[in-house]
Amino acid sequence: MPALNRRQFLLGSVAASAALIQGCRQEAPRWEKEAYRKPRRSQVAVLAAKSYDMPLREELIRGIKLFGLDITNKRVVLKPNLVEYDPQGVINTHPSLIYAAIEAFKSLGAREVVVAEGPGHRRDNEYLVTASGFYSILRDTKTSYVDLNNDDVRKVKLKSHFTELGSLYLPETVLGADLLVSMPKLKTHHWAGVTLSMKNMFGIVPGAIYGWPKNVLHWAGLQESILDINSSLAVPQFAIVDGIVGMEGNGPIQGRAKHVGVLILGNDWVAVDATAARLMNVDPKKIPYLQSAGDFLGNIEPQSIEQIGDRLDRFQQDFQLVPIFQPLKSVAG
Amino acid sequence: MQESAKVFLIKTQNADGGWALQPQRRSNTEATALALLALANLRDRSLTNQVRRGIEWLLQRQTPGGGFRLTSTVDQPSWASGLAVLALNVFGAQRTAAVRGAEWLLRQKGRGLGLLGLLQYWLYPEQFIVKLDPTLKGWSWTAGSFSWVEPTAYALIVLKKFRKHLSQDQVIARISEGERMIYDRMCVGGGWNYGNSKVFGEELWPYPDTTALALIALQDHPDHPANQLSLQALEKMLEENQSGLALGWSCICFALYGRDIAPWLARLEKSYAKTRFLGETKSVALALLAASGGADVFRV
Repeated sequence: MPALNRRQFLLGSVAASAALIQGCRQEAPRWEKEAYRKPRRSQVAVLAAKSYDMPLREELIRGIKLFGLDITNKRVVLKPNLVEYDPQGVINTHPSLIYAAIEAFKSLGAREVVVAEGPGHRRDNEYLVTASGFYSILRDTKTSYVDLNNDDVRKVKLKSHFTELGSLYLPETVLGADLLVSMPKLKTHHWAGVTLSMKNMFGIVPGAIYGWPKNVLHWAGLQESILDINSSLAVPQFAIVDGIVGMEGNGPIQGRAKHVGVLILGNDWVAVDATAARLMNVDPKKIPYLQSAGDFLGNIEPQSIEQIGDRLDRFQQDFQLVPIFQPLKSVAG
Repeated sequence: MQESAKVFLIKTQNADGGWALQPQRRSNTEATALALLALANLRDRSLTNQVRRGIEWLLQRQTPGGGFRLTSTVDQPSWASGLAVLALNVFGAQRTAAVRGAEWLLRQKGRGLGLLGLLQYWLYPEQFIVKLDPTLKGWSWTAGSFSWVEPTAYALIVLKKFRKHLSQDQVIARISEGERMIYDRMCVGGGWNYGNSKVFGEELWPYPDTTALALIALQDHPDHPANQLSLQALEKMLEENQSGLALGWSCICFALYGRDIAPWLARLEKSYAKTRFLGETKSVALALLAASGGADVFRV
């Protein structure tokens, strides 16, 4: 019997996910009618942003205005990617971008801007928030922070059934948002291939109920859980991807920094993630959850995504993936 | 700090008698148990009413099976049951409820890998994605999931404290397996994170709060080389992380290992002055408990 090594095991897992999801695609849809929100066409903005020192607030205002969003009197919840802290690493959404987003949404008329995150590994929220630099920007902007791991929760019936979870407890802060802004870092991921706006929603699953790590989701199927969480969030959505410095290789924590100098914005998270994947030279159709999300949650086909702002090919780079995920590349790199 | 932390806990007690983990939220078993432990340890008669209401809230969370739900809106018993048991155990009149909670914990077990996963582990352990022994079952965060360090640590502390009230064969076996699981998950240089020491061949780093908790659970093996290594690692981790959670659990841990905690308490006070622990109830309660010499509630 040949050795089942790590590579084969993982490839098998991804293939199994893909096969399972593909199987579902061929049978009855695994989502309820009300979960279907795929627009006919989506817009995704690609904005040049060379560094975190530039006037990001103005750039974000320009980008948000491209979508004609009405922010007036809205309660905006910013969901960054704050996973872990490593002084040498580039794990988290950069605090300067969070600062700029807080200021941008406030100046566009938001009633309230809240930063909310539920880190998946560490319970020590105080340490993560202070060490990562978030604390000082929250203090300076007098912005509330909610630890989603410890927020009040409501049991939500899932609107798709790629997992067998049926329902999940989700935080009231997220469910009550007038606009939920996913602010992921542009990263590769050793379990999911890439981690962007949709995968960022793992952080809303409350640790106080499901633990650290949020292992229940891994047991239920990582790709499948991403779909079920995202299909069940019936709140208006927007995304701002921090691609100024991204991460390649063994993400989401131990990968290498990769300077790209870009922000990706949009109100269709599927289209945003598909565009960000292409920017990393990863084929979104080879990522099972993105491919399936393209059936009912948003657009992944280039012809259904209107590219606005700067040209994508100006920023396209070859992001290294862990060896197991090399087959996801659009072009071998 | 002690007075300020006490006032914080009095002010943040919810109308229903419990405490939330962060301000203006629903009461939660973890926060309520820690707040009760901290206030009870002050032995302040003026707090009798707050303590009584807190106990009542906790008792209302206990299910017929003995476990404790996390909040009033969550159906199933939770990993925080261990803390609820430890809190009720402080009050003699609540011993029966505490023993029922300990019995519930004794019946809990983390989920196994399933036949395929186990086959892979047995045949090719060196090629396993994560470096751990999946046959060792501790306690999980939520029913039907894998075992992790923190819930296992709470369960071990409870079972060790209540062992004379529990079925001897079962409790000895579960304590032994839980201890082996925790030692198996230790990071390479000592200390623990949530419960993975190595993933994809990369060593992961330990966290001070989980390290302190694991050491508290293993306090009856103070001379074990892993305990000694992890105590050293914990001191090193605290050079960088001085949060209320990290220092609070560490002070309790060091006190249980007979170390002088005065320097750590000074750091705790300094951190409190700086951030007020971001208003997190569990950190404030742990700090108050540590500063008022309350480590003994975790002594086994």
